[in-house]
Parts: sequence; structure tokens; C-alpha cells
Amino acid sequence: MGLSRRGLMATAIVSPWLMRAGDALAQGIQPKRGGTLTTIVNPEPPVLHVGVNNQAPTLIVGGKIFQGLLRYSAKLEPMPELAKSWEVSADGLEYTFHLQENVKFHDGQPMTAEDVVFSIMKFHMEVSPRARGVFARIKEGVAVDANTVKFVLSAPFEPFLLMFDVTVSAIVPKHLFDGQDYRQAPAVQKPIGTGPFRFVEWQRGNFIRLERFDGYWKPGQPYLDSIIYRVVPDSQSRRLALETGQVQLTQSNDIEPFDVPQMRARPNLEVQTAGWEYFGPLMWLELNHRVKPLDDVRVRKALAHAVNRDFIAQRLWFGIGKPATGPVASSTRFYDASAKMPAYNVEAAKKLLDEAGLKPNGQGVRFTIRHLSLPYGEVFTRLGEFLRQSLRQVGVDLQLESVDVGTWAQRTANWEFDTTINYLYQYGDPTLGVERSYVSTNIKKILFSNVAGYANPKVDALFTQARDAADPKARQAAFSEVQKLLVEEVPLVWLMEMAFPTIYDRKLNNVITSGAGVHASFDDVFLA
Amino acid sequence: MKEFWRNFARNRGAVVGLAILLGVLALALLAPLLYPGSPWDMAGMPFAPPGEMGMLLGTDSLGRDVAAGIAHGARVSLLVGAVSTVVALVIGVSLGAFAGYLGGWADDVVMRFTEFFQTIPSFVLAILLVAIFTPTIGSIVFAIAVVSWPPVARVVRAEFLSLRSREFVQASEVLGKSRLSIVFGDILPNALSPIVVLASLMVASAILLESALSFLGLGDPNMMSWGFLIGSGRSVIRIAWWMSVFPGIAIFLTVLSLNLVGEGLSDALNPRLTRNRGGKA
Amino acid sequence: MGASKLPGYLLGRVVKAAIVVLAIVVCNFFLIHAAPGDPASIIAGQSGAADAKFLEQLRAQFGLDQPLHVQLWLYLKGVLTLDLGFSHRQQMPVSTLLWDRLPATLLLTGAAFLFAVGLGVTMGALAARRVGTWGDSVITVLALAFYATPLFWVGLMLVLLFSVTLEWLPSFGMASVGVEMSGLEAVLDVGRHLILPGLTLGLFYVAVYARLTRATMLEVADQDFVKTARAKGVPEGRILRRHILRNALLPVITFAGIQAGQLVGGSILVETVFAWPGIGRLAFEALLARDYQVLMGVFFCTSVMVVLFNLVTDLLYALVDPRVEASA
Repeated sequence: MGLSRRGLMATAIVSPWLMRAGDALAQGIQPKRGGTLTTIVNPEPPVLHVGVNNQAPTLIVGGKIFQGLLRYSAKLEPMPELAKSWEVSADGLEYTFHLQENVKFHDGQPMTAEDVVFSIMKFHMEVSPRARGVFARIKEGVAVDANTVKFVLSAPFEPFLLMFDVTVSAIVPKHLFDGQDYRQAPAVQKPIGTGPFRFVEWQRGNFIRLERFDGYWKPGQPYLDSIIYRVVPDSQSRRLALETGQVQLTQSNDIEPFDVPQMRARPNLEVQTAGWEYFGPLMWLELNHRVKPLDDVRVRKALAHAVNRDFIAQRLWFGIGKPATGPVASSTRFYDASAKMPAYNVEAAKKLLDEAGLKPNGQGVRFTIRHLSLPYGEVFTRLGEFLRQSLRQVGVDLQLESVDVGTWAQRTANWEFDTTINYLYQYGDPTLGVERSYVSTNIKKILFSNVAGYANPKVDALFTQARDAADPKARQAAFSEVQKLLVEEVPLVWLMEMAFPTIYDRKLNNVITSGAGVHASFDDVFLA
Repeated sequence: MKEFWRNFARNRGAVVGLAILLGVLALALLAPLLYPGSPWDMAGMPFAPPGEMGMLLGTDSLGRDVAAGIAHGARVSLLVGAVSTVVALVIGVSLGAFAGYLGGWADDVVMRFTEFFQTIPSFVLAILLVAIFTPTIGSIVFAIAVVSWPPVARVVRAEFLSLRSREFVQASEVLGKSRLSIVFGDILPNALSPIVVLASLMVASAILLESALSFLGLGDPNMMSWGFLIGSGRSVIRIAWWMSVFPGIAIFLTVLSLNLVGEGLSDALNPRLTRNRGGKA
Repeated sequence: MGASKLPGYLLGRVVKAAIVVLAIVVCNFFLIHAAPGDPASIIAGQSGAADAKFLEQLRAQFGLDQPLHVQLWLYLKGVLTLDLGFSHRQQMPVSTLLWDRLPATLLLTGAAFLFAVGLGVTMGALAARRVGTWGDSVITVLALAFYATPLFWVGLMLVLLFSVTLEWLPSFGMASVGVEMSGLEAVLDVGRHLILPGLTLGLFYVAVYARLTRATMLEVADQDFVKTARAKGVPEGRILRRHILRNALLPVITFAGIQAGQLVGGSILVETVFAWPGIGRLAFEALLARDYQVLMGVFFCTSVMVVLFNLVTDLLYALVDPRVEASA
């Protein structure tokens, strides 16, 4: 059994910031106060309040202003943040969090157990679809005393402890939201959290400025005086900004994969792809099972055989990310390496299509399907073109349709596609981030549901079994079985475990210290 | 006709332009012979510089032959440019002539209609139209035509407004010529030179507009156009300059030739000016 | 046109303009709503998670659950009282967003416009005077080269030269951020940021003005009243200024009027490449996010601008060309 699983159940009391200070010392660098970090945010977020909006840029900037109860290591072990320790009862139903002392919001009000209960039980239940799905299992949430919170679940839910990152359930001030429409409260425009940096200024289309919060609960921290997020919509300008030192850090999609090799070559820059383990984004070719012949498992297998996933990872993404092996990303818990999807094999693909009765016509075309390109930038367009050429090799004619984001979202949600590309976060646990794409109960006209329309009672049953089991061993057994089943059925053609390059000036320290990478609070980041 | 050609040929730039234009047309027509197979085929290593791996102009990020792309792209780009310009001219000239000659309420209605189209930022309108109808070659041509005609209408109207009070028009009116014959027989030929100049610029801007749409991911993904090539080369400009330089040169040469030809036409169509010019030269 | 007729003429034009603007508002409304997708589905898409309740909440909050004609009515009512609505996506009044971004675009396009007209008309006039010579050819080809080279390419090359290689000018943004500056320093700072995007945007239009000026000047130069002037022995320089250039400016003015409407559209690419916080990018981002209210606000704003500009154009016509009467 991996450390991570036991770690989740056990009471963990460590002091990671001491640990991290130790890391820095080990490199011979003493944390230094002062300095401004200028970086990039792209695209510009609509609002900065985590929870009200959960787009990646909002989470990255909001992660400095707000904090969650916990944070997570690259192996997804929970670490203290606003909760300094926690206990889980033997039956897996009661979770007790002991909060840090002297935590203040940016408006000077103390953060108490009441705020935590409000945030979890009311705020996120109301605004966040992701939190809502899990927190609905909380039977009772109470503030035991000013610094202790207890949640009682209606049934055991083993991945519960993964739900307390700032990106899922940030702690918000009750006194600024209670009794109001949460989405339209004034505090949405002027976010007030407990994080090391407070919101100061936002010139739309230009920059967002955060400044050091002097009342931060960790003494002496944060080290930086301020963080400026500049809005730079063009990828080449972003690259230039990094090269010329106008910004010291880029993250997420800021730098296109094909520019990364040249950034690696620059001696003053550090390139990392770690820091996305908590999210585990997996990309796949979405297949609409309502469209013939995609309902035929032989055809789906043939498509999987026809695509060279190494080429995608190496040539299109330049090694940022790795080929997918199945429905669960390798960084996600309960990943089973023995479940392997069909390998790249053009002959096998042709044979399967022959067996399915799809013979090539005069032009060598067996059947024609449409492909809705994902409008997320250059490299996804290339991916569509690559898939078209790959499938053409086995006699499948893929007609590309390029659309803008709005059209893509609408048509994908409404099942108006034959094939498309999609990538979803797995949030560290298959129950949280994998199940939703395969179970028949989630076949809905909504994005990120089972839009493929794949239905298999056995798969449904296994996911339910894994979800409800309190024992990690039982969960592993069910997840292993479902992974083996899915790689046989190929409901979707998994393509790549995505990663995003975090590139920063070597003077910057402690940028990536957790499985959530640049979403972290940056209270320990300093410029040497 | 012979005289027209002589007038045209007197302008040496126009002859050069015509030669280039014919060359581009030949490239478009001969593309399937020069580069058989699909321009989308991944023929070599990605980012091979020009001259390497037997690729005259290098390869792109997927190892596709840039030269093949330019040859096949010529067909699509010229088609988009020509068709959308013709459509825009038909709309613009008829509305502009109508408004400028009749004046009064007709002018008012047409100009309000034109204003209506001009007030919406054309690029945004084009994007909106392409987004609504999904990007296909047809919707792109349609969108370009819809946003391109107002300048034609306005220029034609201005010309008509200024020409209709000229002596020769008044003379025709006195002679009792029909309005239609005055508009098309007397005024339009005299208003042709700005229209021809405008049209040649419009073909070019249509090609550029298509490239801008392509660059924003709103090109027809099944059609290899110069716009597509530039769009896809743009973000890797620091890695593979040849991907945007060569299609850029193709566009540049085509636009240049169209303009030179347009100028020659304008000279040939406007004999008074040519005589003057011939006298000076 | 007599001075006494002017107020009535203006009033008539303003009433007509108001009708055009209103028609634009209505048509834009339907056009924008005809695009597939809505702001709620996009936010859901970008958030990576959604459920039915989430979409329902958003649509109710955005007022999208109301029938289309009710939404239109509410919007029109707002516009008539100069209330451009509220961007629910950004949780801000549209007018605030517009006022924040409009000055940046006006600055950029104004600078580019002056540069384009100044250089373009000069080049055109020079070429026309030396028609048929090498000087003419060089100017013509130069103007064409500006025109035929894609905007982003020019922009990128300028950046590579002036920002990367020479390190003279900043490559993006409108001002230095996080630096304390005095008034004059701040102005100079913005000026430095303005050079590259202004040049990039302006170069494109230089060609238009140069070619137009050249073409019309040649045409006017051959007309009877010029010949008459020449026969009367008016000095050549005076003919050029008073007779030829003045009349040749007509199509140039027409184009300037047209450009007003294209200010926003043309600046989208430049604002994107140079991270210029203007209204063009706002419109483009609003379109992609289906932020209906913001997009309609931009359209409303530009339509008012263009209508005003056209009015000025028409008045200028009457002033420059005595043959043309402003028809009320």
C-alpha cells in the first residue's frame, strides 16, 4: 500500500513550513524579505473570487489571497494550511479539524471556526458545483469551539480529505457574505481572504496587483512585498516578457510547448513540469457513442490503435506531459499500471475495421466522421490536424470543424459532435475526477458529464462500489477492475497526461512546493 | 481593345504585375501536378529548415511541406479573395451608384444602411458571422464580402455626387438619355479608376482578413490557405521563420501584382490621364 | 449652405443618426444572441466542473432565463436612459468597463491615425508630383509593402528589433507597473509604450492614404479648373495646395470617416500582440466569452462614435468641395 493512502487516513501533524525553510537552507539560501514578483495571468480572469469563479487563472491569483484548510504534497498527502492538525474517526464518518491560531482576514477580522463552517456548509454548497457534489454528504458541520471544526458524514467517503485545497474550498469571511446573494456580494469585487497577499488593484486588461498582508498568521512571512500579474494575451509577447526579464515567472498555458525547449536552454531560467499532480489533467479524444460506427467497440479500439500517442507527447507537446495509458492518470490515486489501452499499431487497427465490416471505398475511405477542434490554442489545432492524418492512414476520414470556445462548449454539452478533444482534471482521486466521465447516471447535456453517452452497468457498479467503500484496499480492487474493463471497451481514446510548464527566474525560490504548484499561497516564495 | 492594351502596356509596372499575377495563377492551377497528394501529409521531420530533407521551403511543426502548402494554398486564397471581392463590388457599386445619382431620400436610406454596417467594427462582425455560421469556406467568403462593401459604396457615392453635377452629365440629361444609361454609360466609366484601385486593394485585404480569421482559429480547417500557413507560422516565428516568411512573400507578391495591374487598368481606362502621362514621360 | 440652414440640418442629421444607432442596437442584439453558446455554458466550460443547478443559477443571475424579447426590451430601456447594463461575468457595470478601456484605444488609434494620414498624404502627394519616375515607384512599392505585410508580422519584427535586440522600447503593456513616477515621467513612459503599437497599426493605413492621395491627385490635376488656373499663370505650388490637394482630399476624408468604424476592429490584433488594454480586445474577449452586455456596449459606443464622425465628414465635404452641397 502506498504511503499516500495511509497518509490520508492517519492523523498528520507535521510542520511543512519549517520543513520548507529547511529545504531552502539545504541549498545554502537564506529566505530574504522584500522584492516584487512580476508574472503573467492568462487569460484574464472575470472575477478574482475563488468559488464564485473556478477558472484556472482565478484559482492561481485567488490562491494567493485565500487559503484552504489543507494543502497537498505531490503524492497527494494532506499537509496543514489553515488547519494545523486533524483527526478522522475509526468508522470514517467524523472529521475534526484544529485550526491555526491568530489567523486574520485582510479586513482585520479574526478567522474562526464559524467562518470555516459557513464556507463549507453554505458558501461552497451554493456556488461551487464541484464542492456541492461531495459536501452534500456532510450530515452535520459544527464549530466545536473557536478553533475546532467537526464534520459528520452520512456515509464514509474516503477521498473526503482531498476536498480542502484552496482551489476547492477556500475559507471565506462569513461576515461579508452571510445573508447576501453570494455571487453578487460586494466582497466578490474586493476579495478578502486569509492569504499572505491582499488584493490592492486591478486595471482590467492590464494588471492585477497584490501586496503583502502584514497581519499574515505565519510570523515573518510572506517574503515578497508584492506580486503583479500582468495581462498579456499573446503567447509570443509572453515569451518575450520572460526572456527580457520583464516577468520572472510564467505558468499554466502561458508559454506554448514548442517554445519550451528554447526556454530550457537559457541559463537563467528554470523549467519545471511538476506541480499539477493534485489536478492530474488527462486529455482524450471524446467519442459520441450515439454516432455510428463509434458505438462498435472494435471501431473504438481501432481508433485507439491508429493514434501514435508518443508523437503527440513528444512532437506536439515537446515532452511536456506523457502518453496516457488508460482512463486514470498515473499521478492520481488508485492508478493501475497493469491496465493498458491498445498500443499504436496501424495494422491491428485496419484488421479491426475490416472485422467490423467497414471496407475501404475507391478512395480508401471506410467511413467519414466530423471532429470538433478544441479552441484552446495553436497546439490543439495541430492535434486535430495530426489526428486527421493518423486516421486517414487506416481509412477513416476525419473532417475538421474549427469553432470558438462558446460554440465548442455548447455543441459538446449538447452532444452535437462526432468526436472532439477534451481534458479534465482528476482531482487526485478517481471518484472525484474520473467517475463522472463514464457512469451512465451522469449522461447529461452538460459539459464534463458523460457526454459520450457510454453506458455499462458493470462500470457503474464498480465506480459506486469504489465510491462507497471506506477501506482503501477495497477501493483499489474496484478501481483496478474498472480500469481493466475500460481499457478493453475504450469508451474514449485517452491521449495524454497533461502537464504545464512552470518557468521562472532562478533567483526565485520555492515556487513549486506542493501538488498544486503555482496555485499555492507563495508565502514562502522569495527572491534571492 | 488594341488601344487599351497599348495604354496598359505603357505602364511597365503593370506589365510586371500582370506577369507575377499570371505566375501565381499558374501555380494555383498546377498545384496538383507540382505537389501531388495532400498538402496536409506529414512528409518530413518537423521544423526542417529550407533546403533540408528535400524540402525547398522547409517543413512546419508537423513536418508538412511548406512549398506544397503555398502551391495548394494559392488556390484557396485567390478564390477567397476574388469571390468575396466580386460579391462586395456588386453590392457596393450598385448601392453607391443608386445613392449618389438619385440623391435625396434614396441617398439617405442607402447611406443609413451603409452607416449601419460601418459602425460595427468590421473585424468583430466578421468573427461574429463566421462564429454563427461555423467556419467554412462559404461562410468566410460571405463574412468578408459583408464587411468589405461599405467603403465601395461610399467611394462610389462620393464620385457620383461629384460627377453628376459635371457638364457632361448635365449634357446627357438635356439630351434626354435614360437614367440607367447615364449611370452606367456616362458616370460609372468616369468613376472607375478609384473603384479599380479599391478592388485591387480589396482582394488583398480579403486575403489578409482570411489570414486573420485563420489565425484566430476561425479558418476552414479543411482548406489549406496562405492565411492558414501564416497563422500557424506566426506563433513559431522565432523557431521557424520560413513558415511565415514564405507564405508572407506569396501574399506580398500577389497583393503587389494586383495593385500594379489595378493601376495599369486605371491608366488604360482613363485615357485623358494617360495622355497626360504619356506627354510627361 | 447658408449659416441659417445649419442648425436645422444638424438637427435632422442627429435624429437620423439616433435612429441608425437604435437599429444597430436591435440588430446587434439578435446577431449576438444567434451565436451558439451562452455566457453560462462558457463559464461552466472554463471552470472544469458544472451541474444543472450551477447553470440554472448562472442563467437566472444573468437574466438569460427570460424570453428573448423581454431581454431586448430591458436592454433597450436601459440604453435609452444611457444605462449600458451590467456584465454579470465580470460583476461590473458595462459603462465602467468601457470607460476604463476607451482612453487606451483612443490614444492608440488616434496616434496611429495621425501618423497614417500625415505620412500617407505626404507620400501620396510626393508620388503624384513625380508620377512615372523612380521616386514614384519607390514610394508606391513601399506603401504596398506596408499594406501587404500582415500586422502581427510587422509588430513582431518591430518588437524583435527594438525590444529584444536594441532594448530601446518595452514590448508590451501601456505603462510600467509598480514604479513610482512623476506626471511628466508617466506621460513619457506611456509614450514609449505607444511607439511600437502605434507604428504597427499606422503603417497599415499609410498605404491606403498614400495610394488614395496619389490616385485622386493625378485625376484632379487633369481637370479643367486646374488647367484654367495653370493657363492663368497661378504658381505651381499654389495650384498644388489650393486646387489639387484640396480637391484630392475628398476621398481621403471619405476614408478617414470609414476608418472611424474600423478603429476598434483594426486594433484588435495590435492590442493583442502588444497587450494594450483597449476596447478592441475587450470586444474580442467579450465575443469569445459571449459576454453579451459588454459586446453590445462596445458596439453601441463605436456606433455613436462613427455616426458623429460621419457627420463631421459630411460637413467637411461641404467646406472642402464647393460643388457638393450638403443635402439635408
